[in-house]
Amino acid sequence: MFEWLEYDFMQRALVATSVLSVSIAPVGAFLVLRRLSLAGEAMAHAIVPGIVIAFVIFGLSAVSMITGGLIAGILVALGTSMLARRTLIREDASLASLYLIALALGIFILSAAGSAIPLKSFLFGSALGIGDDTLILIGVTATITLLTFAVMLRPLIAATFDPIFYESQSHRPGLVQQWFMFVLVLNLLAAFKSLGTLMAVGLMILPATAARYWVSTITSYMFLTLIFAILSCWIGLILSFYLSQVPTGPAIVLVAGGFFFFSLFFAPLGIIWGRAVQK
Amino acid sequence: MLNVHQIALGYNGTPLIQDLTFALNQGEVCAVIGHNGSGKSTLMRTLLGIQPPLVGKIEWQDVAHDGQPRNIAYLGQSADLDHQFPMRVKDAVAMGAWKGLGFWTGIDQTKADRIDYALTRTGLTDMANKPLYACSSGQMQRCFFARAIVQDSPILLLDEPFSTIDQTTQSRLVEIIKEWRQEGRGVMIVLHDLSAVMGIADTCLLLGDGRASFGQAEDIITIDNLIAHHYLSETQAEWLTLLQQKGVQNV
Repeated sequence: MFEWLEYDFMQRALVATSVLSVSIAPVGAFLVLRRLSLAGEAMAHAIVPGIVIAFVIFGLSAVSMITGGLIAGILVALGTSMLARRTLIREDASLASLYLIALALGIFILSAAGSAIPLKSFLFGSALGIGDDTLILIGVTATITLLTFAVMLRPLIAATFDPIFYESQSHRPGLVQQWFMFVLVLNLLAAFKSLGTLMAVGLMILPATAARYWVSTITSYMFLTLIFAILSCWIGLILSFYLSQVPTGPAIVLVAGGFFFFSLFFAPLGIIWGRAVQK
Repeated sequence: MLNVHQIALGYNGTPLIQDLTFALNQGEVCAVIGHNGSGKSTLMRTLLGIQPPLVGKIEWQDVAHDGQPRNIAYLGQSADLDHQFPMRVKDAVAMGAWKGLGFWTGIDQTKADRIDYALTRTGLTDMANKPLYACSSGQMQRCFFARAIVQDSPILLLDEPFSTIDQTTQSRLVEIIKEWRQEGRGVMIVLHDLSAVMGIADTCLLLGDGRASFGQAEDIITIDNLIAHHYLSETQAEWLTLLQQKGVQNV
């Protein structure tokens, strides 16, 4: 029954995705609460050209890929803000236009450069082929993320729930927002290798939306998001091991989707009992 | 507590209000009224230090190193907030005690007592452990008043606190505002309801048509003033005058 655990690549994948879940779950929880789920999805695609260009120039270097991804993410964010302020298209359309261009550009460069990374692996991830550098990247990301939440939990809750109240109480209100976006991009980059650019944000959002149907306090919400994320990774990995044609990214995200639909129908705040409870 | 002398407010260099001059003293309630877009919320953001004035300076009595008051309570429009946020009522109230806490510091007994007092004073003790989504609009607004009580600030800024609540809740909250005044706190409150202004305000700041008038509430709330600042149209004013001539009171 546990023969899949005997393989070294499965042990690595299990450790990597478990640590990744610990890191990505609280980020996803706040992304949902801050109503930025779609912006997170867009950002996951926006960082692609930066990663690809860094990869083409410097090879599989975690530092250069993070730097490239961050630069691309910041450029798309600034471009979106500028287009929304100075032209007639609104923020959602500006963001959608720029991230689609960024994604296409990334795939174009990857293919044109004749990359050693197969396109499928780039888009959907390959958790079963995780190397030491990716493990280190995930570990460092998880450490930064957990430290961030240990230090910034109260400001983050206040800034998410009542932004103007928070701004009235803080001397540097923009810092929380900016640091949260940095941590978001860092987690997307950490998830990039195992889940791929199309699926990375799935592990962030789906466990968080599923957990929203069950609980009504912030700590239990974050904890349940983490449980759903870890279980999605474990079950997804096993599925991917036995169904060798299925990439790990979609398998993990599909299991998270299963938790979402289960919660939607059976949780106390879901579609069936939720209305009665909330009244 | 607060002196504002000839400041201009606006966005991107375009002034919304010019020559704005007013003062807020201890134990005083100042109502801010004006038509939509007259700059009421911009004024609140400026007083909170979120948006600097285009011209001039705001003088606070007791300020921190950044020129902002050390402790200022703000109560925004609750309709803008996520009523489904995963939080209990008492956690939302406890937010008022978060300022100045270290990353790892818990809420001490004095602050815990103040949270209990605030819940009792706003009649929310039974709701304390209930989730926010279980609150009605009135209970939600009481929750934010409780948070402001916990903040224990000498200055309170309230942005349309009665916009989503019924008359019973409004009366209850008006009593809390009067209590703040008795305690010597200064309260600035954005209102739409002129009868509420006359009921609780000592002074009034009327915004509109790019300028402001400030004075005792009964001197500012006149039909001529309200027309001049586009708060009332001339037709509305004629209608009001007609009703008053016919002896209808409290229009």
